[in-house]
Amino acid sequence: MSHMEATAQYIRLFESERERIDVGAPAALNALRDKAADAFRRLGFPSKHVERYKYTDVAAAFAPDYGLKLATQPAEPTDFELVSKLYGTLAPLEADGIAALNTMLAQDIVVVRVPAGIKKDHPMQITNNWRSTLPLMQNRRLMIVAEAGAEVQVILTDKAEAGQDYLTTQVTEIFVGEGARVEFYDIEDTHERCHRFHQTFAQVATGGSFTHAAFTLASGLSRNQTDVTLAGEGATASLLGSAIMAGHQHVDNNTLIDHQAPACTSRELYKYVADQQSSGAFAGRVLVREDAEKTDSIERNANLVCTEEARMWTQPMLEIYADDVQCSHGSTVGQINADALFYMLQRGLSEAEARMLLKQAFASEVLDELPLEPLRLRLAALIEKRFRNCENCKLCK
Amino acid sequence: MLEIRNLHASIGGKEILKGIDLSVGEGEIHALMGLNGAGKSTLSYVLVGHPAYEVTEGSITFRGKDLLQLSPDERSHEGIFLSFQQPVEIPGVPMTKFMQAAINAKRKYEGKEPLSAAEFLKLMRERRKIVELDNKLTTRSVNEGFSGGEKKRNEIFQMAMLEPRLAILDETDSGLDVDALRIVAEGFNRLRTPETSAIVITHYQRLLDYLKPDFVHVLIDGRIVKSGGPELAAEIENRGFEQFLV
Ligand SMILES: Nc1ncnc2c1ncn2[C@@H]1O[C@H](COP(=O)(O)OP(=O)(O)O)[C@@H](O)[C@H]1O
Ligand SMILES: [Mg+2]
Repeated sequence: MSHMEATAQYIRLFESERERIDVGAPAALNALRDKAADAFRRLGFPSKHVERYKYTDVAAAFAPDYGLKLATQPAEPTDFELVSKLYGTLAPLEADGIAALNTMLAQDIVVVRVPAGIKKDHPMQITNNWRSTLPLMQNRRLMIVAEAGAEVQVILTDKAEAGQDYLTTQVTEIFVGEGARVEFYDIEDTHERCHRFHQTFAQVATGGSFTHAAFTLASGLSRNQTDVTLAGEGATASLLGSAIMAGHQHVDNNTLIDHQAPACTSRELYKYVADQQSSGAFAGRVLVREDAEKTDSIERNANLVCTEEARMWTQPMLEIYADDVQCSHGSTVGQINADALFYMLQRGLSEAEARMLLKQAFASEVLDELPLEPLRLRLAALIEKRFRNCENCKLCK
Repeated sequence: MLEIRNLHASIGGKEILKGIDLSVGEGEIHALMGLNGAGKSTLSYVLVGHPAYEVTEGSITFRGKDLLQLSPDERSHEGIFLSFQQPVEIPGVPMTKFMQAAINAKRKYEGKEPLSAAEFLKLMRERRKIVELDNKLTTRSVNEGFSGGEKKRNEIFQMAMLEPRLAILDETDSGLDVDALRIVAEGFNRLRTPETSAIVITHYQRLLDYLKPDFVHVLIDGRIVKSGGPELAAEIENRGFEQFLV
């Protein structure tokens, strides 16, 4: 199916369901719907000619006929004014068709607002467990607002029951206030019939700090886009990702860090293990604007390609318009280290076990960067479980 | 225990071993000496089944089995251990996890149940003491950031864990200072049983003073050109290898 046909399919869906969508959605979301629909009609699904989508076939992912599960009663957010004021201000409707589609169809929004100075001492977890008798589409919105000096950790987990097709679009807007701190963990453990397009837009004010980590333990097709604007002096961003791919899985992490203010710091580490016929893409653009003197930025992408058939595209990009900056970026694509493998065999490990431990070690390096200790341990166990391919062993409980 | 007959081996089409004959009996220690590039490491790699080397002629039997038919991990389970000349760093793979996998793979091969976590840790603690390996090293990734000496000590620690029948020490003494050498050598002696054999590759008399080899062989250009008792090592120490070169 061409992206034009796919686009037409979703416009028809929107037009036939419009009334029901509006009835079940809060006013703040309805307010943007017409504008979003116009944008989506104009832009359509991004084709492979759109720079940031060149590694992922969007139309193919949207081609199946998914049902929309519609709410019949709106859940009005308690912070009505705040949501009305901020909704859609970070996610640009004009950039590509995905945010426009999401805004056109979204019925629900989860809002996490942390008032000034409040430091949440426990992380919040949002769990999605897909389960449906029909192919299902979900268009999710999430908003995180950390006011000055506030701190919050949000963990999002996606799981899906086997045997069904699922499609998610998710747009997350994150406002990190002055001196505030937000950690956002997005963990996917689904299956080969799940497609998802996540877009996260974060804006970090003076002295604020933002961490985003995308763990793809299992999936079908996943595209995670993370755009961060370092808007105030001394703001920091840390973007992390670990993708474990096998079968025909495809994972595409696409990031933009926009250094707009001086003395901001950004760190990026994305690691992929590509096994069997899987394919992965990483594109990370770091933009250092003229005013962003004293920028400190390190971007790294490392990939382990385990078979002849697996594919990996990597594209770190650094654009610097300031003079006094410290920036580095790099990427590597390699195979299992033959010397390490042989060393392990000599000690009696089977080849399968040795390879598994090496892959696991590779994917787990990202964990060292996670500030949240219990999550680090949990993810280490989940990664091991993923590589051991076991459902019920004692490690995985 | 080990019978090597007319062994020829090459790497990348280049012949390195050119007809090696060597018998190692139970409980015997054989020293293997020779100039750099003679093929000592090649012989040890061939014994443990490194895939880069091709055996073009000859045979190796180990305790009656055709060694060349066994995979590297099977050779390990049969009791062959190589202390690598240059141990590899394996970032992200913790020592404990690695050793636990190694021990339990061997036990599985022997038809035994895996060790419980507690039994395993107890064994680690015990064996660590033999080579005085710092606890903090066993909590790190395999060899990662270890000094040259720590890596060698870690090799002997792993040997202590796996209790091989035949240990091949490939220049385990290089990179060790005098004290570390003594600890490693004494540790090795303590681990020995009347059945354990060893092939000790070294350039120095120092290690042999501790290990007291029964036989000494001189390897030159892929062939064993001279074999003798411990006195041969002393002779080499005094006069070098020139006497064996043609
Ligand atoms: N990968 C390789 N390709 C080609 N030649 C090699 C390779 N590895 C070792 N050699 C050669 O094999 C010979 C024997 O090396 P080695 O067994 O390491 O000697 P030793 O341990 O006695 O110093 C040397 O000439 C060395 O250059
Ligand atoms: Mg050597």
